[in-house]
Amino acid sequence: MIHPWAWVGWVGASLVALSKTRNPLHLVLMLLSIAIVNALVGFRAELSLTPVSPLRFALFVVPLSAAFNALTVHFGDTVLLRLPAWLPLLGGPVTLEALVYGALNGLVLAGILAAFTTLNQALPVRALVRLIPRAFYPVAVVTSIAVTFVPTTMRQFQQIREAQAVRGHRMRGLRDWIPLFMPLLVGGLERALGLAEAMTARGFASADDPEQDVRTRAAVVMGLVALLGGWLLRLAWGQEALGLALMVAGSGLVLVTLWAVGRRVQHTTYRHEPWTGIDWAVALSAAAVLALFLLPGLNRVALFYYPYPSLSWPSFDPVIGLISLGLLGPVLALVRR
Amino acid sequence: MRDRILSIAIYGLSTGIGMIAFLYPFLTLSASGETHGGMMGQAHTGDAPLMLSVLVGLCFVVLLLEVQGQAVNAKFVALLGILVSINSALRFMEVAVPGPGGISPIFFLIALTGYVYGGRLGFLMGALTLLVSALITGTIGPWLPYQMFTAGWMGMSAPFCRSLVRLLHGEGRWIELAVLAVFGALWGLVYGAIMNVWFWPFAVGPSEQYWEPGIGLVETLRRYAAFYMTTSFIWDAMRAAGNVLLTLAFGSATLHTLRRFQRRFVFTRVSSPLYKDERLPGVPDAPRAEARAG
Repeated sequence: MIHPWAWVGWVGASLVALSKTRNPLHLVLMLLSIAIVNALVGFRAELSLTPVSPLRFALFVVPLSAAFNALTVHFGDTVLLRLPAWLPLLGGPVTLEALVYGALNGLVLAGILAAFTTLNQALPVRALVRLIPRAFYPVAVVTSIAVTFVPTTMRQFQQIREAQAVRGHRMRGLRDWIPLFMPLLVGGLERALGLAEAMTARGFASADDPEQDVRTRAAVVMGLVALLGGWLLRLAWGQEALGLALMVAGSGLVLVTLWAVGRRVQHTTYRHEPWTGIDWAVALSAAAVLALFLLPGLNRVALFYYPYPSLSWPSFDPVIGLISLGLLGPVLALVRR
Repeated sequence: MRDRILSIAIYGLSTGIGMIAFLYPFLTLSASGETHGGMMGQAHTGDAPLMLSVLVGLCFVVLLLEVQGQAVNAKFVALLGILVSINSALRFMEVAVPGPGGISPIFFLIALTGYVYGGRLGFLMGALTLLVSALITGTIGPWLPYQMFTAGWMGMSAPFCRSLVRLLHGEGRWIELAVLAVFGALWGLVYGAIMNVWFWPFAVGPSEQYWEPGIGLVETLRRYAAFYMTTSFIWDAMRAAGNVLLTLAFGSATLHTLRRFQRRFVFTRVSSPLYKDERLPGVPDAPRAEARAG
């Protein structure tokens, strides 16, 4: 199994790559890479948690996006048809260029959904909950409780519905849901009381040092003030370098404080997730994709494509194409399994 | 006192920066005066998307860190966990059987939880409902942090209704439900409006509805209003109507139940005048009135 953080890196790289590319050739290459990973993950997934299939979403969103753009953006040389000018918003020429640009935007959306669908399928909910940073330990506990109790809540709702049906309850309007919802709420809150007693009995409590807490919060306030100050310097006074430095310092202070808070949380690991060679391969290939799209000074002209005013054939950069194949990184692990 | 000042500073700064961060793309790109292609509002360049994500993300984690500080007792954690699970189950049903437009059953419970149990629990209820429901329905996406932040704001702002209800002497009366219904309706629209803002400045479309660099604040608002009315208003109006209906139909019984359990989850220790009058010699005064969770 690929480590959750390697998956996060892969999704991050996919997101950045897709959002920065409008060249159809490069876009299709990235979409194919994501689709292969998605198909392999879906093939091996024990339980599918996807409400919408990425392919079905693409078949819906690409034509919709193309049609919307073509009907509302009346710009481009290749006129396909003309709608009457008296039609508000829609009136004017419908162009091939607008149609293509809309379809490209739809493809990007479909790719983003496919990447996140892959993450949802690849990682069990427990692994996703474990990604919550240690500094947010209470939030992680609440999330774990909530995730654990969702099936119980669904089961309880089913039982209440059956019990009410046996009593002859019929659903005619909105208020007829009250005999279903209120027992669900009351039952849930009773369970919460029982759970709280059990947690207290097992010693769930906080023993934070108040002075340390004050220092932590003071550091957070200082970080936010620096962030705000830097932002204002950039916006209002045009002090780009100084403003950016202050913003970076403020953000750094907040992040270091979060890290320090996390270090104070004691935790035990029931099952250690090892970071293997495959995880390195996935992470490094994702890092290469991220570097390609984010590092300054690299030639990324081939990634941009603008169909207006006349449609032209997009260029293709083999080096960029090769590096973006890094999105296929998870295939190494999935095929080996 | 020191705690209170720090708390106010963190709430004020994180909420303020977060709110302005949503408007950051307008400010920064207007200032730089970039233009793109003339006809369409297209703002794909610059650091605005990254800056928006960083600022909103940082504000969200800081607010979460501050709010969760109160969540470290067993009663609070258990109560929140169960309420979030109920609301997530409701969203699961909504995903399985979608209602018309943007109607969703989750917002009414977020508002009522914030109203009864306070802004901190309301914020966590809103943010974690969206997180847990995304986990169980497999709908994690780039939109999730923004959804969590916005739903958290809804829960956090719900206690403001208390002052209005008290002003109208409406506690336990229909006025209370009416105030909460109006609150739900407003947030039904505001939620959609905020969720649009994170992508609107970077989207492409007809110039009457999309942002262009250097168009000024009034024109920006006019175009956003046109965009919102065209693409989102009907969807969000359905959500607002759903919130009103759910609040009116379930609000009274839900408020009653949440308050009943509030008394069981939260206790107040007060000094007893009887104890003070009849105290034994040498026994100090009882502690001053103090209210705290569990």
